[in-house]
Amino acid sequence: MPGVLDYDNVTKDYGGAWSKRRVRALDSFSLSLERGEIFGFLGPNGAGKTTAIHLALGFMRPSAGEGRLLGRAFGDAGTRARVGFLAENVALYHRPANKLLRFYGALNGMRPERLRLRSREVLRQVDLATEADRNVAKFSRGMQQRVGLAQALMNDPELLILDEPTSALDPLARVAMRELLLEANRAGKTIFLSSHLLSEIEMICHRVAILDKGRLVKVGKTDELLVSRDRFEVVARGVPEGSFEHSQTQDGRTEFVVPAVSQRDALERVWSLGGEVLSVNPVRRTLEQVFVELTNKGDDV
Amino acid sequence: MKAVALIAANFLREHRWPVLILFAWIVLTALAAGGFGRDRVVGEDVVFYVQQQAIYICIFSAFLAADAIHNERKSRRILLVLSKAISRGEYLLAVILGTCTMAIAYTLVFGLCGVWLTARAALPSGQLWSVVVLVMAGSVIAATVAMFFSTFLNPYVATALTLALFCAPGATHVQRHAWSIWLPGLPILVDVLHFNFRPDWTVNWFAAVLAIVEAAIVWMLAAAVFNRRDIAVPVE
Repeated sequence: MPGVLDYDNVTKDYGGAWSKRRVRALDSFSLSLERGEIFGFLGPNGAGKTTAIHLALGFMRPSAGEGRLLGRAFGDAGTRARVGFLAENVALYHRPANKLLRFYGALNGMRPERLRLRSREVLRQVDLATEADRNVAKFSRGMQQRVGLAQALMNDPELLILDEPTSALDPLARVAMRELLLEANRAGKTIFLSSHLLSEIEMICHRVAILDKGRLVKVGKTDELLVSRDRFEVVARGVPEGSFEHSQTQDGRTEFVVPAVSQRDALERVWSLGGEVLSVNPVRRTLEQVFVELTNKGDDV
Repeated sequence: MKAVALIAANFLREHRWPVLILFAWIVLTALAAGGFGRDRVVGEDVVFYVQQQAIYICIFSAFLAADAIHNERKSRRILLVLSKAISRGEYLLAVILGTCTMAIAYTLVFGLCGVWLTARAALPSGQLWSVVVLVMAGSVIAATVAMFFSTFLNPYVATALTLALFCAPGATHVQRHAWSIWLPGLPILVDVLHFNFRPDWTVNWFAAVLAIVEAAIVWMLAAAVFNRRDIAVPVE
């Protein structure tokens, strides 16, 4: 069954075929988004995240491979009426916020009555209802970003593609944006979220893909990615202090981390010392740790 | 088509200041040609005014159309517009529509100023409206050709190429040949440059219709080229 957004072995090169400055932005990139998920798209600067998004929206063509957006080939204009897009460093026409939203909505074929209703609704959602008649040129960067999100929501899209949506927002606005995205997801929207804010991705995304130098280095469920399979945290009771390297003892409970290969030896040692094993769990890392590890190593999937 | 009209209207709105300045320019040059208090205006001055403004309007249309895509890409505003249910061809059609609407408004102001001048020079103004229609057709083909070049070239190069395409055949006198009527814009240019308020001056209406047909063909070519362009790549 086709996904909401599918990349099938997509490669994108910048520069002409004979150019000396030819750069490969995406290299045999394959990915599939499932309906109803929030998908985090991560990667260092220049990894190819924005290129992948622009290909999906038909702003550029792949050098090789192909992709489908909501079941249709990339670049199909009609399909884009079912998608909401927020660009990185959003650039808006200098018009009052409500008129601007109606303009973008009308480009997707929305009727006047619905435009009026939706523009009011989405401005309220992004907390700009009181600024509806103000020209967006007079807005702060963060407010413009929120107008950008509002225009992406105007057509009540099935798929939201957001490129760094929180980059210009203050912490409170970030929390509000997060809530908004979760609400949109509960309403059945699929969200493709590219961001540098790893903590945010960690909090809201069901699945995550990490891109490095145009190649997909990891993709999987967020929870599974954060769980280490090669290190375990052991909690024991009744073990003499200092029995294990780097262990911490408090109120008779000793905690230490062991590599997966020495897990059995460590447990047997606890028992031989007369202790009791309380729990053994895989070490949980932060997304930042996973990200740094993967993008430094450049491992393949 | 509604989306095309909306983008065109937005394009007009974005360019309202240069257009207003050009309107002021037409009126001021008409006043200058009108002699500021001279009792009567010389016929040659009116002919010069009409020919000069007619050419300016076509050049202005070419310049405006050539710059449109570049500006939108540079400001990155094109991304949100083309993320909607708009095809590249419709987007280009909107740019042409916007440019031509401006050119038509510009031409109408030029026509009104021309009528005032012909009245002061005691010349018949009927032929002037034929020139106005020719200029409108000339603007459409100039804007479309310039936009076609701008889909793959820098806007300044696109404008220069457009002007060369329209002017070079005239400079080499190919207009003497019957086949020259098929060269885009050339028959219109020749008609305007021969305009003289005399009864023997006639308009080649076929050339005006041909210019519109050619503009439609060039638009289709431009859409085919623009479809293959990476619009998200930053322009210099």
